[in-house]
Amino acid sequence: MIKNRNLPSGTRDEFGPRAAVKETISAQLMAIFKRRGFAKLTTPILEYADVFKPLNLDNYRPYQLLDEQGEALVLRPDLTLPVARMMSTTGVELPAKWYYSGDVFRVKKQLSGSYNQLTQAGIELVGYGSLKGEWECLTIALAGCSATGVDEMTLELSDARFVNTVLAALPVSETTDSALKQALFDKDLTTYNHIAQLMADTDFGSFLEEWPWLFGDFDTVMAVVQRLPKIPKLQPVIDDLIATNAFINRLAPNQKVVLDLSIPSPQQYYTGMAFRGYTQNASDYLFSGGRYDDLLTSFQQVKEPAVGLAFDVDALADRAPTPSSPPQTLIYFQPSQWQAAEAKLAATPNSTLCLADSLGEAQRIAVSTNKQLLDLTKAGA
Amino acid sequence: MAIKIALTKGRVEEQVVPLLEASGIDCSGIRNKGRRLIFDEDPVYETILVKGPDVLTYLNNGSVHLGIVGSDILEEQNNTQYAMLDLGVGRCRFVLASTSQFDPQQVRRKIIATKYPNITKRYFQSIGEDVEIIRIEGSVELAPLIGLADAIVDITETGTTLRENNLHVYAELQPVSTKLVVNRLAVKQYQTEIRTLISNLKNAQTKLGVNA
Repeated sequence: MIKNRNLPSGTRDEFGPRAAVKETISAQLMAIFKRRGFAKLTTPILEYADVFKPLNLDNYRPYQLLDEQGEALVLRPDLTLPVARMMSTTGVELPAKWYYSGDVFRVKKQLSGSYNQLTQAGIELVGYGSLKGEWECLTIALAGCSATGVDEMTLELSDARFVNTVLAALPVSETTDSALKQALFDKDLTTYNHIAQLMADTDFGSFLEEWPWLFGDFDTVMAVVQRLPKIPKLQPVIDDLIATNAFINRLAPNQKVVLDLSIPSPQQYYTGMAFRGYTQNASDYLFSGGRYDDLLTSFQQVKEPAVGLAFDVDALADRAPTPSSPPQTLIYFQPSQWQAAEAKLAATPNSTLCLADSLGEAQRIAVSTNKQLLDLTKAGA
Repeated sequence: MAIKIALTKGRVEEQVVPLLEASGIDCSGIRNKGRRLIFDEDPVYETILVKGPDVLTYLNNGSVHLGIVGSDILEEQNNTQYAMLDLGVGRCRFVLASTSQFDPQQVRRKIIATKYPNITKRYFQSIGEDVEIIRIEGSVELAPLIGLADAIVDITETGTTLRENNLHVYAELQPVSTKLVVNRLAVKQYQTEIRTLISNLKNAQTKLGVNA
């Protein structure tokens, strides 16, 4: 007999209501992707470790193993880079719209209550360089949340270009620049204020004072941005954000939009707008995405515009109510009545065949699982 | 919904409670706690008392929004949440210490005993050395005296314990102090409240003469 029946740390079995909720959510998201004309892409769970080199591995430590030649393989910690690998090697014609669904594996701190296997469902748009790409992702983000029963979601916009463009314009050395950036990204106010103090008397003073807090209501944040002296390279970034905010206001007038211009982009390869969604009580983002035109340059010479979005199916499931299904009907029958039972099954919604051999056993199952028993062996049934 | 704070119990708690009170948070429950661990006297903040290493477990999980814990633990656990404010209390320092027989230039791989293996590893990496680390849970000073290790990496406030055990400081590593740590998502969900708290804490520091 097998002695070790434990699960590896950070994993879990999913069954019953939890499994049902996740399946429903995945199906609802897939239906949206398909309806909007995306094509399915499935990549393997195993990839060479090299594929994920562009990732900052702090939060994406992968499970590793070796293939027959001794090359390092990993269980994929991310679903976007495999799409880029696939695009660069298969000669698929651009532009392309993909959707995917699957599990990613990230080794977290042991015994900390976090799970290492997470389910994602998302899209990648490759070959579309204009804001229409971002807007398609945002439309899907909103549709996905609404289809899976998320109300009161806060949509957060940010942009990978903002921080670096402002830093480059500051009248300080590169060393000071990078120290300020680190303190800003860590929200280490004590260190940040020390450095920002050096520029208190410059044109940037009043902006720098607010920068670590530069997130929240869209218009309030934009008002602080107006305090900056003119930085020509910043204008297109601001224009994109304003246009996108207006777009969302038209698409979903009640959608709460916040702006965060104080955070790093989710990954190094992000080149433009980024967006995430969360609810007031959640401890995880429900979705995350953005523009990463540098994504393919890790795999090929030619740069291709790309923008994508991934839903965290586990986070969506965590906040979904447990489905209250009407009691199931249990159809009891003799083996000779299989065809009649089959017809009953087809005609009765939410029913299942009772495979027990005796009526007594069928009644016991019906009582213990709170099902209605339909007995086909009884005359007139 | 109340904003939840995980406060390190013991010395950190004693040093931080006056700051919290001066920031307008009702700490009467913590002052007379008996065996309680959850304190909801304040209308805005609910405080729980936990051991230092557990603060980040609660915070990373999103079970609490704020944590108050020493930077020694934050560094040892490779904290990724926002350590937003240095509270200026609980100041001490990491040191490399040993008996007077210890030779830092010895030509073999040193054996270092410590409660902080990650910090020890990073320190020796930074000076280009590789050492063998032995993890000890308490009374680390014993290790070089009993011959378990060549030296120790530990925190010290005044150096009294080291001196009483005839240990000398061979190198001073990074300083330590108590930090206010904020969950990355909570800072967005409770922006106004957290910003007010930080500003109140800064005023309290000035009022109580605590230098950040």
